[in-house]
Amino acid sequence: MCSNVNRRDFMRAMGALGVMGTFPLSGFSAQANTGEVPLSVESLPPLEGELTLYLGRGEGGLYEKVINAIRKRNPKLSLQVRRGPTVALANTIAAEAKAGVLQADLFWAVDSGSLGLVSDAGLATALPDDLLAGLREGFRYRDWAPVSGRIRTLPFNTDRVSPGKIPDDIMALPDTDLTVGWAPAYGSFQSFVTAMRLLEGESATRQWLRGMKARSRQYAGEFGVVMGVSRGEVDIGLANHYYTLRLKSGQPEAPVSLAFTRDDAGTLLNASGAMALTERPIAVNFIRYLLTREVQEFLAQEAYEIPMVNGVALPKGLPDDDQVQPPSLELTRLADIRPTLDLMRDAGVL
Amino acid sequence: MKRWPVSYVLSAPVAVLALLPLLVLLDLGASAESFWDPHWLDVLGQSLALTGLTVVGALLLGVPLAVLTAYVRLPLGALWLPLLAAPLAMPSYIGAFTFYAAFGPGGEIEALTGIPTPELRGLTGAAVVMSLYTFPFVLLTTRASLRGLDASILDAARTLGLSLPKALWRAVLPRVRRGIAAGALLVALYTLSDFGTPAIMGVDTFTRVIFVEYNAFGLSQAVMLSLHLLVIVGLILFLEGRMGTEQEHPGRTLILRPGRAPAIGMMVLVFLVFGMAVGMPLGLFGIWIARDGVGSFDPMTAVNSALAAALAALAAVVLALPVAYAALAGRAGRIIDRITYFGFGVPGIVMGTALVYLGLKLPFLYQTLLLLVLAYTLRFLPLAVGAVRSTAERLDTQLAQAARLLGASRGEAFRRITFPLTVRGVVAGGALVFLEAMRELPATLLLRPTGFETLSTELWRVYEAGYFGRAGLPGLLLVLISGIALVLMVSGERGLKADLIENRG
Repeated sequence: MCSNVNRRDFMRAMGALGVMGTFPLSGFSAQANTGEVPLSVESLPPLEGELTLYLGRGEGGLYEKVINAIRKRNPKLSLQVRRGPTVALANTIAAEAKAGVLQADLFWAVDSGSLGLVSDAGLATALPDDLLAGLREGFRYRDWAPVSGRIRTLPFNTDRVSPGKIPDDIMALPDTDLTVGWAPAYGSFQSFVTAMRLLEGESATRQWLRGMKARSRQYAGEFGVVMGVSRGEVDIGLANHYYTLRLKSGQPEAPVSLAFTRDDAGTLLNASGAMALTERPIAVNFIRYLLTREVQEFLAQEAYEIPMVNGVALPKGLPDDDQVQPPSLELTRLADIRPTLDLMRDAGVL
Repeated sequence: MKRWPVSYVLSAPVAVLALLPLLVLLDLGASAESFWDPHWLDVLGQSLALTGLTVVGALLLGVPLAVLTAYVRLPLGALWLPLLAAPLAMPSYIGAFTFYAAFGPGGEIEALTGIPTPELRGLTGAAVVMSLYTFPFVLLTTRASLRGLDASILDAARTLGLSLPKALWRAVLPRVRRGIAAGALLVALYTLSDFGTPAIMGVDTFTRVIFVEYNAFGLSQAVMLSLHLLVIVGLILFLEGRMGTEQEHPGRTLILRPGRAPAIGMMVLVFLVFGMAVGMPLGLFGIWIARDGVGSFDPMTAVNSALAAALAALAAVVLALPVAYAALAGRAGRIIDRITYFGFGVPGIVMGTALVYLGLKLPFLYQTLLLLVLAYTLRFLPLAVGAVRSTAERLDTQLAQAARLLGASRGEAFRRITFPLTVRGVVAGGALVFLEAMRELPATLLLRPTGFETLSTELWRVYEAGYFGRAGLPGLLLVLISGIALVLMVSGERGLKADLIENRG
């Protein structure tokens, strides 16, 4: 399996995920049962020794819980974690490698674009076949393992906006009179812009960014965006799906609901993932922990992320709707973030 | 040939070290592709707008309060000045963080009281917060000038028929222009260097954009922006250096005794300012602790903060000693002293950017505690130099000479006479550096070793993740530790004054 998934494979993967065609995901669960049973942490070797992990954005402590659980289970593991914005860490890894001072053994990023950037720099250690085998078909890359999936969404304030007013074409958003919350410094947002650039072209994307700038309000992260939407600071937001689901699980009465665009960058399906940067087996073994049933179930149930190994149920609260149609775009192409950053800088939104 | 004083030999390398960040930036800047980006005009505009608004806000708060604390006799006299100076002990990003969470629809104030408040964000929000935490600069410089004035001119003005406010406006304030201007320049300097407040409030100032560019690894952009910012900061430092204080013949200081109602009004005003700047953040941290608990807090962050700050304080004091003595020894020494002041004008984000690249060039330094401590030390060295020098200046040089005459070596005279007499300055300087290093945010974000989280980076993480409730304990600890360092410093200075008075008597 090469790291470039061709389009047909990808479409099939989307089908397997249940996000194409019938989104109610009922077909997905049935299919999941035919897959392999995911590994349990019980079957994994203990981790021993030093390991430095670069963690792109801690997702408000939920990844932290996973890391702490792994630490607790492996008392002989000496794990150092450096946290930061995903793209910054990807660039740091590249700069470190260039200067010959690579510190990171492992990179866990919330966004596949950043992983692709490091992968393109030739810094990743190839993953073994048996690790790939447990992953969803279509998400098996040689350089990195997807850990969880997420869909771009438009959370909207149900008191301020009726769903009918939200366009199902992301490119039409600047022409509405809606105020929009966004977090341009966030890796997932930048991947979304990369997707738009690849799907719609540079000039259309530049125009979109400029058009949006006037009606947008900047937040530090996308949980902030969703809170801003629920507080009525803006009409709608641009954010990964799970922020809204997490907010709703804490505050079921919050006036936020999810809208989706159709077959464009606005409904991009992306993945967080982990990459080994050292030949030492401990890095790959750490990734195995992330792909266990326990971690995957935790991420699905507590973090509302889409599990990436076969046989784990999807999170509750994704809309029961067959309207969700992600664009067909290979995740590895999202690695091309430098032109995106230039574009965003140029449009004055970074 | 005349021998160089030992202090010169020891302090010259310190001066070279102090210029290190500038050298690194110039080296990187020389290879930059573009020196100017039209988008930066916007950045310049935003930076100047925030600085200008903050200066206006700080003057509006600082000058009246300076008049109040300089001239007005209120009950509990000694209480009011410390209350009004207290905001200086708080990092302004704590204010920005709590104001951001407290105001606006759905903010904490509305959640607690049901009273809707306007949103405090962007340029307005940043200017309000910055004014609230920088006005003590204006208050202190203006008050010092006011205290030096002779009251008889005001009395004359009043005799000639001016009301008290008019007399203050026309016969007093013009004479303390320089004091006010000195405070305003300090405010401007602080505002231009501050990273946390504009970052949290979302204002595209130099510091925030440098951080964004750094994170996108727009290396040359970050460096060029840093150099541009340094030019502006240099300009302000130059103006500040030319500011003298008014020299008037000393006379009787004016004393105003307000009636009951105005006195109560003034005390309420002081409490209001203190409550907004210090009470509100502390209260909010308390509420968050009560609501969200402290479960997710890692006590190591407090240990790390204190450790790095203590190492920086130690290093700064050790480096400051030769510089301070060199400054007293002669002209070349004064130049060395001036050079070490450079670090104070380097904003934390610029210092961080420069040292990250230094680390990439010198791998043994990269992501080490040493590099972080070096950043703190270079940045806050002038505080230690100033404190040590001001106590050393008051020393009777004949004492050391007498010791030499009695047969003590240079080293022994220093060890047994000079050093013990400057130890108060050393403690005060160390405490100041500790205080500043504890709350430093941007350089810490860039330079901390992996796994080394401090109270300030923890607060930043909480802000980025949007889970404000978890800021309670780290925020409270940060303020508490800063407060202790401040008390140490103030009591050190008091002790010194007491000594001087005793010696005189």
